[in-house]
Amino acid sequence: MSAAVPILEVQDLHVSYGAIKALRGVSLKVYEGEIVSVIGANGAGKSTMMQAIMAQVPRESGQIYLEGKELASKSYQVVTQGISLTPEGRRVFAPLSVYDNLMMGAFPRKDRHKIEEDLTWVFSLFPRLEERREQYAGTLSGGEQQMLAIARSLMSRPRVLLLDEPSLGLAPIIIKDIFRELKRINSEGVTILLVEQNARQALMLSHRGYVLQTGNLILEGRSEELLANPEVEEAYLGTGKTTGTVKK
Amino acid sequence: METLLQQTINGLSLGSVYALIAVGYSLVYSILLFSNFAHGGFLVIGGYICYFTLKSLGFNIWIAGFASLVGAGFSAVLTERLAYKPIRERTNVTLYLLIASMGMSIVIENIFVIVAGGRFRALPPVIPTHPVHIFGLATTSAFDILSLLAAVFFLGALQLFLIKTKWGLAIRAAAYDLRTAGLMGVNVNLLISIVFFVAGFLAAVGGIFLSVRYTLYPQLGMITIKAFVAAVIGGLGSLPGAVVGSLILGLAEMLTAGFISSQLRDLVVFSLLIITLLVRPQGLFGKNISEKV
Repeated sequence: MSAAVPILEVQDLHVSYGAIKALRGVSLKVYEGEIVSVIGANGAGKSTMMQAIMAQVPRESGQIYLEGKELASKSYQVVTQGISLTPEGRRVFAPLSVYDNLMMGAFPRKDRHKIEEDLTWVFSLFPRLEERREQYAGTLSGGEQQMLAIARSLMSRPRVLLLDEPSLGLAPIIIKDIFRELKRINSEGVTILLVEQNARQALMLSHRGYVLQTGNLILEGRSEELLANPEVEEAYLGTGKTTGTVKK
Repeated sequence: METLLQQTINGLSLGSVYALIAVGYSLVYSILLFSNFAHGGFLVIGGYICYFTLKSLGFNIWIAGFASLVGAGFSAVLTERLAYKPIRERTNVTLYLLIASMGMSIVIENIFVIVAGGRFRALPPVIPTHPVHIFGLATTSAFDILSLLAAVFFLGALQLFLIKTKWGLAIRAAAYDLRTAGLMGVNVNLLISIVFFVAGFLAAVGGIFLSVRYTLYPQLGMITIKAFVAAVIGGLGSLPGAVVGSLILGLAEMLTAGFISSQLRDLVVFSLLIITLLVRPQGLFGKNISEKV
């Protein structure tokens, strides 16, 4: 696996907000077909990393490659190149219908009949969205909004799906549902990079994981190894430390 | 009774011209969350392009009108690119955009003072203004009816654009959350240019009708204050609100002029504004401020 070209590669990424350094040289690789999770506490720089990949915050230095090719510097070009982000806090378009939200996800595409196929596909992943097709997104429950946000990202037919805190503010049972669907989405050919505070849930889903602490990646490894790692256990898996962790 | 009907038609006609201006202003507000004070400038640009095209290319209102709308549209895009884009790329503070727009408003006004002179100009009689009798009940002018029809046509076209097209959908999404619209693969700068083009285009329609109604001069853009008031009464950022607010304002002005005194028109307009701000600060169709983050 290590010989192959990673589908997404971040090299020595630095991002600052004024005087505050948010990322201090982050490097990671995601291979085709993988689910990779990045875990870390609030403020570690997880969302910043995702936004830097999407070109929503300017990079101070560092490179990002998609299949060995430099990633574009404008958000809309990044989407066309095949990366799509489900942002933290879902950010569905509340005054638009579920259908219109999904069509927004397909905005850069011109292949109209394929869009119809993908609509059927995301409805098969999240049948509840089909029932609520004409409803305003703002009237959906938190879990349904998260499903919509993920489905909306999938409508651009991404090679790599970035997910920023998909479990945020959701009931454990809904989180389970959503993570099961993520597994299915992955098995249907979408590579996933996931950042989560809910470390246990994320590592149980992913193949590999990274630990991000105040702008640095301090650990990486196979998810099972990280789950078994006493340091990780202590800092991120203890039930008191993370919000929304499902107790076993 | 006759006066009532007549003034109602006049009020709707004036209100519909306000609506053309208010809708563009509100559209810009909904995307960038600042009051574009240069909006009145777009209207003046439209008016002058129409005037000079008529003077130089003969009295064909269709050619002059088209040149005016498109020219004002591109001027609005240029204003955005020159004055607002550099600011919004550096900061999220919309106050700076507001201040820049005040500056652009002064710049545009003075360009016309220098180039065209400060005097009042009457547009050649290209829009019929002869009196029209409505079922023998009231008398109004063909101009009022035409301006009402033109406004309905352009507002309807805008509505169709927003509901039926892909970019219309993107604009509606961006009005709720511009940043997330960018994540969907929308070229945000292009979207903002389209919005400014539409705003300038519609302002020019209003500009032509206002030039005929009041004559054309560089400060004609000041009349947009009425459209601002209308947009605030209707709810900033809401397009139906802008239309309803404009009609209320047009009717209030004309009914005051017809039944009390035309001197009191502006008093009534600003009283309506103050009452709205006291009773329902978010306007008739406005979103709750707390809802928009």
